[in-house]
Amino acid sequence: MIVVSALALAAASAVAAGLFARRAWFLVRLVRAGKPVDRTADVGRRVRNEATIVLGQRKLFQRLGPGLVHALIFWGFLVLFPTILLAVLGVIDRDGFIPSGAPLAWLARQGWFVLLVDVFAVLVLIGVVAALWIRKVQRPPRFKGSHLGEADLILGLIAGIVSTLLLWHAARIALDLNEAPAGWSPVSNPLSSLFGTGTATEVLERVFVWAHVLLILGFLAYLPHSKHLHIATAAINVFFGRTRARGRLEPLDFEAEDEADLRFGAGTVADLTWKQMLDAMSCTECGRCQDVCPAYATGKALSPKLLIMGVRDHLFREGSQVLAGGELSPLVPNAVTDDVVWDCVTCGACVHECPVSIEHVDHIVDMRRHLVMVESRFPAEAETMLRDVERGGNPWGKPQPERAAWADGLGVRVLLPGDPAPEVLYWVGCAASFDERARASAVATAKLLLAAGLDVAILGPRESCTGDPARRMGNEYVFQSFARENVATLNESGVTKIVASCPHCFNTLANEYPDFGGRYEVVHHTELLAELVRDGRLAPVAGSEEIVYHDSCYLARHNDVISAPRELVSRIGKPLEMARSGKRTFCCGAGGAHMWMEERGSQINEERAREAAATGAGTLAVACPFCTLMLDDGVRQTGSDMRVADVSVLLAEALE
Amino acid sequence: MSVLVFVEHDGGEPTEPALQALTFARGYASGDPVHSLAVGLEPDGLGAYGVGTLHVAEHDVFGSYAPAAVAQAVVELAGRLLPTAVIAAGTDAGNEVMAHVAAKLDLPLAANCVEATPGDPARVTRVRWGGSLLEEAALHAPVKLLTVQPHAVAAIEVPGEGPAVERFAPVLGDADLTVRVVGRTGESAGGVSLSDAKVVVSAGRGAGSPEGFAGVEELAGLLGGAVGCSRAVTMAGWRSHTDQVGQTGTKIAPDLYIACGISGATQHMAGCKGAKAILAINVDRDAPILSSADYAVIGDLHEVVPAISAEIRKARS
Repeated sequence: MIVVSALALAAASAVAAGLFARRAWFLVRLVRAGKPVDRTADVGRRVRNEATIVLGQRKLFQRLGPGLVHALIFWGFLVLFPTILLAVLGVIDRDGFIPSGAPLAWLARQGWFVLLVDVFAVLVLIGVVAALWIRKVQRPPRFKGSHLGEADLILGLIAGIVSTLLLWHAARIALDLNEAPAGWSPVSNPLSSLFGTGTATEVLERVFVWAHVLLILGFLAYLPHSKHLHIATAAINVFFGRTRARGRLEPLDFEAEDEADLRFGAGTVADLTWKQMLDAMSCTECGRCQDVCPAYATGKALSPKLLIMGVRDHLFREGSQVLAGGELSPLVPNAVTDDVVWDCVTCGACVHECPVSIEHVDHIVDMRRHLVMVESRFPAEAETMLRDVERGGNPWGKPQPERAAWADGLGVRVLLPGDPAPEVLYWVGCAASFDERARASAVATAKLLLAAGLDVAILGPRESCTGDPARRMGNEYVFQSFARENVATLNESGVTKIVASCPHCFNTLANEYPDFGGRYEVVHHTELLAELVRDGRLAPVAGSEEIVYHDSCYLARHNDVISAPRELVSRIGKPLEMARSGKRTFCCGAGGAHMWMEERGSQINEERAREAAATGAGTLAVACPFCTLMLDDGVRQTGSDMRVADVSVLLAEALE
Repeated sequence: MSVLVFVEHDGGEPTEPALQALTFARGYASGDPVHSLAVGLEPDGLGAYGVGTLHVAEHDVFGSYAPAAVAQAVVELAGRLLPTAVIAAGTDAGNEVMAHVAAKLDLPLAANCVEATPGDPARVTRVRWGGSLLEEAALHAPVKLLTVQPHAVAAIEVPGEGPAVERFAPVLGDADLTVRVVGRTGESAGGVSLSDAKVVVSAGRGAGSPEGFAGVEELAGLLGGAVGCSRAVTMAGWRSHTDQVGQTGTKIAPDLYIACGISGATQHMAGCKGAKAILAINVDRDAPILSSADYAVIGDLHEVVPAISAEIRKARS
């Protein structure tokens, strides 16, 4: 009997393992064929991420209910893992099936262990029921476009695996075969009263253990062919997730020695990095990204979930050609359409939300890079911006010598070549330099820094666009030439500390210029101003105005600057908060070069302006010139009379 | 020692920037022979600009614009003549061809020069950032590749005879033939196009509604101009995006731009900076557009615009 059982189990395992291994080998070879990207540094941080994001389920708990449901199932399976081995041995030999000296036999005899097994088996079942309730009754919109039938099948398998386990344990207790005292099994023990002690129970005991093991083997075989692949890939994807600033884009190496390493973004699946392939294999279609996407929320073609699913499906469709070096079809429009690629505002809400560390923005930017640099295919209205950045040094084609015109009469030092480096260099940015509405923040910031007695200077006409809009549009080449020129200017001037009032400039200077040899201490103007207020060098007088603060994506989400602007707001007036704030803020609509593109359908800035107006605040405070422009337009378009002003402008007023 | 100039021509007629480039090259050569290269046809009148030898590259592809092919012809000829410099006009075509030449020879290109002094390195002064900055640079290269900023130097004739003409058929690879103009389609006709109109009358959010454009349309009709609008208007769905003046809409260059109820956001002004004169009509004395306007009327467009139309009618009757 033992031999027959062992042979049958070996056959079933061989089939399941064979199916699993064949698919797994294909996936491993695909990832190994991915383009290089360096994710080896910061091992400590990666281990921490593994502990918090995977074991602790940190990002899943960003949504408490569904997070708890998932955690119950996940933690349940961690606890139940040894029971799989016990069941496998139990299939072979019903009685005395474990060598008595083995640690597993010791474990099986422990009352606390069987208690844990019973408790967690029930928690898993509760999790499955709750998950089904969410999917069948609540039906949240984030599942729109996901494979719902597949999820039901998987939940059914999980329920089957756990119930057969409980029933097997119950039958063993009925037959008096239990290793640990039955009193420690609060669920299996009462269940055992369902069974007699006769042959029927003996047969059922065999049926349950076989059903349990066969379901697990079936699950194993099915796993790598389904979206449930994330069980195998998610932990790896989290480990290799970004550890450096989220706002930094991976630079392309145009000087790559090896032609195979030369990339101009992603044109086909063969151009994807191995991390991007892992991203695609890790998606569970949970739709948390879709739920927070400003483009999706305003009816655009983009859903970050469908983007990753599109990449994944295309990758699997053409994977064998990738390995064989065959003909590949373009990612755009086969995996996703052109609209999807251009709808993204690079706000990173999807990346922040994703429980398995998928980096959607990198996919978008790589597709843009290919479309712009290889195919010259992008929304026509953005051409002017790209040309003006390249030729004019700013995205509006304004005369470069007028860059410091806003500072006339303020007494700000314009740093000339050979001048001594200032204590702090104020990097003004194009918007605050040239735009009538955004200039107010440059004037206020300069006045405040001078009033606090700081040795501050600006570069004037030697400052140019950081290249950010070109980079987010996909024109990496133009970006890199600006990065090199600006880094040369800053290094030659001996600049060590920079304050930037534009979060996009801030992000580029702080996170992206180090890739081009520019290493400075970079702070945002709200951080510096908050420090000056804290130190008593600026003493604002609080007013009674209710002020709601809007977080800029590139400041809060990409760079963790959240408290400094709030500190200032609370010193100026009465702070109010929107539901979507801090790291979960909602974009103004300008990011990812959308300041220079037309928006189809309903407007992101109007949605955000309505949300701000609903707080009842009289003033909408911002800390970004693009948020200023977008939300000022949004407020007007929605007929609100809220005032939109940069925190620095409000602070300057509170000093007067 | 010689200098080679790529001469653009329009059906055999050398373009003005090409003649300017020849004049520039003559100065740079300071007495050394000036060779010139044209593709397709043989341009007329180059003798008056000091060209000693005119090389005409012949190939079917030169019937239309094909920058990489032209560049290959330049590279092949330069390989034979071994000039100290290759010069072209800094037009869109000239810069594109020379960029290909630079890539093929793996040499630097100094684009949009206004002055150049030969030597090693050569000293050049060139226009950067859309004309807002002059850069002085040193150009290190065995062959100096330059383009000449159009209209920065005048084309000046010198007494001289017609050049010797030498024809050759450059050897072109498949890659050189990939990029070429295969067809042209004209803009759809009908009405006055926004980008070509001599007068544009626009309205912004101040129009209040789609119907609020009636006065603006009447005035544009009287002036033989086109109607435009701001982004706020197309976002509100009052008019189609084809009417939008601005960075992400149509760029206009009229003699007179009448902007009614438009605040003048940067994005809008980027589209009308080519206007020779701007008349702003706005209720807000602090509207940013007033700082760019040549004339302004502070008032409601729904009163001011019909009044202007009435005055025009009166004057005409």
